[in-house]
Amino acid sequence: MALFKLHLPILDDIKSKGLKPAMLAKVDDAVVRITAGLNIGDIRSVLRGDTAPRPNPRVKPHADGFWLHMKPTYYHNLVTPLYPEFRLGWLSLYFMVFETLTGVFLMVFYTPSPLVAYENMLNIMSNVPLGLFMRDLHKLGAEWMVLVVALHALRTFLTGNYKKPRQFTWFSGVILLILTIFLSFSGYLLPWDQLSVWAVTIGVSMAEATPTPWPLNLLGEKYLGDPSFIGTAINNIMRGGPQFNASGLLRWYLLHVIGLPLIAFIFIGVHYYKVIIHGHSLPPEAEKVGEDSAKRVPLDQRTYFMPDILTRELFYVALITFFAVFMVTAGGYHAPLEPHADPLVTPLHTTAPWYFLWLQGMLKLGDKVIWGVVAPGVIVGTLIVLPYVEVGPSRRYADRRVGLSAAALVVVALSMLTFMGTPWYAVSSSADQEVVAALVPQTHPGPLRTTPYDELQVGAYDAADWQSAPTPGLKNLLRQYEIELNAAEARDAMFLDGHGRMTIEQWQGNLKKITFDVTWTKPDGKPGEFTQTVYLGADSNYGD
Amino acid sequence: MTVRVVIGTILIAATMAIVAFVMVNEPARMSSFESGFTGRSVEAGAALFDTNCAICHGVAGQGIENVAPALNAADLFDGSRLKSFGWSGTVKDYVRAAIAGGRPRASAAFAGYPNRMPTWSQQYGGPLRPDQIEYLVDFVMNWQTAALAQAPPPPVVDAVGTDLNTALPAGDAARGDLLFHGKGPGGQFPCSACHSLQAGQTLVGPSLAGIATSAAARKPDYPAEKYLHESVVLPNAYVVETFNPGLMPQTFGAQMTRQDMADIIAFLLTQK
Repeated sequence: MALFKLHLPILDDIKSKGLKPAMLAKVDDAVVRITAGLNIGDIRSVLRGDTAPRPNPRVKPHADGFWLHMKPTYYHNLVTPLYPEFRLGWLSLYFMVFETLTGVFLMVFYTPSPLVAYENMLNIMSNVPLGLFMRDLHKLGAEWMVLVVALHALRTFLTGNYKKPRQFTWFSGVILLILTIFLSFSGYLLPWDQLSVWAVTIGVSMAEATPTPWPLNLLGEKYLGDPSFIGTAINNIMRGGPQFNASGLLRWYLLHVIGLPLIAFIFIGVHYYKVIIHGHSLPPEAEKVGEDSAKRVPLDQRTYFMPDILTRELFYVALITFFAVFMVTAGGYHAPLEPHADPLVTPLHTTAPWYFLWLQGMLKLGDKVIWGVVAPGVIVGTLIVLPYVEVGPSRRYADRRVGLSAAALVVVALSMLTFMGTPWYAVSSSADQEVVAALVPQTHPGPLRTTPYDELQVGAYDAADWQSAPTPGLKNLLRQYEIELNAAEARDAMFLDGHGRMTIEQWQGNLKKITFDVTWTKPDGKPGEFTQTVYLGADSNYGD
Repeated sequence: MTVRVVIGTILIAATMAIVAFVMVNEPARMSSFESGFTGRSVEAGAALFDTNCAICHGVAGQGIENVAPALNAADLFDGSRLKSFGWSGTVKDYVRAAIAGGRPRASAAFAGYPNRMPTWSQQYGGPLRPDQIEYLVDFVMNWQTAALAQAPPPPVVDAVGTDLNTALPAGDAARGDLLFHGKGPGGQFPCSACHSLQAGQTLVGPSLAGIATSAAARKPDYPAEKYLHESVVLPNAYVVETFNPGLMPQTFGAQMTRQDMADIIAFLLTQK
């Protein structure tokens, strides 16, 4: 007597139906299980574009499957075109997944320690197959995600979707916007290069300006000897001490890979759930004022998720992924990696990431506490309470002239502040250093380093005599030198009669030393001189 | 819908084709990145060498007699120097260890040198970060090919050296004046940057007002010329009271020609 009996039903099927029909039936059965309800015939009918039969098998995956149980089975015809939603919410969600996948890849090769973080970057770029590709995608995705989420928020405001009953959806969206920005920003420090340390330094010193309100400042003075102990504590927590150190890097890393994503996933769940519960809002003009008909979709107005919405969503994912992959390969986009972090050397023009430039611009307006802490707090607070305060019933554009004008003003103001945040606005630095920095910038390769090594012939050259330079590369470089000198003279009244010299020496077999020497006359007639030395290797491969 | 499915499929295929293409090119790209990064590391190392190491090892790593050994020398890279003091690792490991940890005790070949190699890595109490040490190592190792291929480069033409018995040509006080103030060819080491000619004025080093008189009295059996000569090429041999030894660069012997030395001495002897 056997201990157990092995019974394979497939063998019975083959016996009764024959091999081929039995196998086909088995495959069909597997497909139904995987799709939670659709068999091969149903899928083929979807792909052929047939109208759905009654009863519609294409709604089964929504009822039985995990992935689609939160997706509506049908949408209103009016919300399926590009307007009014522009697919921005869907793309935001996709970018979250995209960043998680590329981020996990990078995590495998990264250690959050100042001793090895930068080395890890070099290893990812030089020794990990697809490492550079993944890093570029992660960085590009982060930038695009901030943009897409911000546009999603703007669109939601413009179409008035934050109004009743979607106030809480808007609130969770604002939280997600802030989380997205901080997710992107917290990743800045991790490569531990000059860009990361100095960009994050700007952010942290803004937070350090957090005031200690009365009477806490008196208590702090009495017991801690520090009247602004709240700012000090924030600074110590964010940097790991008075200066950025290993603990600080570890904290930003944990924030980036665990803390913020965890909160973000929770809020994405809440946000998405709220979107589905209230339904996709119709375009403002399609509804009566004060009415919300998103959940009541007439039979003849329905677009089913399967296959129309599904193919749309997949199409946009394919499109954006293709663009991202195209950008980091043929498009030539590469995530920057500057020299190793050096707390003692401040790069000439340190800027925050582009989505924080408006904040840097505001800081140039005056007080650090008012513009760096209070103003951003007010802006975020306004966004959060907006749907609970602005309770006008109409979502129509014509009825919301004040709100829409305010939004337009905010967009214009942010653009202007963003410009003010760049080094072109109200940053004073000396003209001589600017001239040399234009040729050998600290943040990117620049003209000298991209000039072919062999064309940098040993010798001493005068920028004014650029036409007599021996090689085209040198000619071009000296011409740029002269242009920069002339621009500096035109721009800066303290910089008169500027002369530029450049000396090229052979330093080692494959290394040249290039010395820039700028001399000028000050308005009082005294001479000024600025010298900067740069070394350039034959194999340094700065590209162009 | 069909259009979307078709375009979407094409896009996915195109994306995968790009990724495959990238993948195929990865080995070549990675090795070019690697050599590119070593090149940049050498550049960073050159700048660090200039500010930290050149003062003792010479601007081109040629070494300075009685101060610090040559670094662009064949004996460092062919292993014979390492063998002499029993280093069993590679040259690169030795260079890294010597820079990072310093050399508290000189090897036999340089036993007479008064200065010790200081510790440079922050890990051992020095001023440089570990990555900066690596840049310096890459820079020093970059001499390897040239050093092994040829004899060490000749020192500065007719350099005066540190031997006080060397014969000096006749001095020209007018040219010495120019050199002293950092003017004219050979004037890249202006004495006047540190030494004032006004009595009692201390810039960095002592004032040289009346040096012609005091030089003759400084050391019993030294005439003024010899004392001045020694003070320039071996500054620590006699240090004026209240000044620290090592304040004055130790490298002028390797950087100055006999004629420069003679001219400067001739100029200083006019400062009575």
